[in-house]
Amino acid sequence: MDEPRPVTVRANKPDRAARMADLLSAARAGSEDALGQIVNELSPLLWQVARSAGLSQGDAEDVLQTVWMRLVTHLDSINDAGALTGWLVTTTKREAWRVRAAGRKLLPADQDVFADLPDKGPGSEEQVILEDQRRELWAAIGMLSRRCQELLRIMAFAPRPDYATVAAALGMRVGSIGPTRGRCLAKLRALLAGGPDGSLA
Amino acid sequence: MTPPGPGRLPPADEPLDDTDFGVLGDIRELFEAVDPMPADLPERIRFSLALRDLEVEVARLAEEDQLTVAARGKEQARTITFDSDSLTIMIRIDANRDGTVRVDGWLAPPQRRQVEIKTSADPLTTASDAQGRFAFVRVPRGTAQFIVHPAQPSSGDTRSVVTPALII
Repeated sequence: MDEPRPVTVRANKPDRAARMADLLSAARAGSEDALGQIVNELSPLLWQVARSAGLSQGDAEDVLQTVWMRLVTHLDSINDAGALTGWLVTTTKREAWRVRAAGRKLLPADQDVFADLPDKGPGSEEQVILEDQRRELWAAIGMLSRRCQELLRIMAFAPRPDYATVAAALGMRVGSIGPTRGRCLAKLRALLAGGPDGSLA
Repeated sequence: MTPPGPGRLPPADEPLDDTDFGVLGDIRELFEAVDPMPADLPERIRFSLALRDLEVEVARLAEEDQLTVAARGKEQARTITFDSDSLTIMIRIDANRDGTVRVDGWLAPPQRRQVEIKTSADPLTTASDAQGRFAFVRVPRGTAQFIVHPAQPSSGDTRSVVTPALII
């Protein structure tokens, strides 16, 4: 299926790790185009990091710009694509905290994105089934702790090869072989397996 | 909430499997639908990164306000404050009748510097006076980024200060 938004690059292609490594070395050598491609690839992840920290849309935009501008002065100290993703996630979190601490336009807790899932109106049978599945997932995520919601939301946007780095940047435990499912994902899967009527309070 | 039945909970310490990746993919789709990044944000970020000078000081947006200007009816002026380690840049943006905007700015501490606006058209340059004041009378609307150049370009003892790109 075609993805309508051009900025959303599918992150799980097998050659992604090699491509990102190439882009990073080209960006370090001064290629604006390579840096631009990295911006396209990783900004959706950073957007979710900033938004899940409770920032308004405008503040999240400012934070992303600041983070990318700071990256330019740090490129020399970043040696691989995993470290790049980790640095960006950590810096975005830190900048988001700084903006929050400054007391700017923070979203009230009851107005965040966990409001009702917008009704998409009538659609084909296939769309209705898709919508039902989404609502079920939405309801299940809503039952998790804020911490788990934030973690899963961010991990869902992390490029697969960088899972361990992103998990570590978010303070999750990473096993010796690689990232494990973790408490949050285990709980979500149990909720989803329980069905829509079982454990929903 | 009732805890899930015994045996239902997949172990938390197992490596991620295909079901996990499937669930994470669904979560990604959900948030792409509910809270998408603004489609033009990467473009604005690339715009502000086009200035690839390692010697720059990055100013952060510190404050933004909309004020209604009584004398001009319903038109709104925006004031924006940027902070960097060495400089505070205050900007006021007013709409001109011809569709452009007027930008008045102040540098603190007050000093004479070359000030540039990078726009989607040609960049505009002016200088601040001894009180740190500067003005751009007609600036096209669109993406804009401020650059305060070093006081003495050759001496190298001050760095350029750049702001994030914003829509004016």
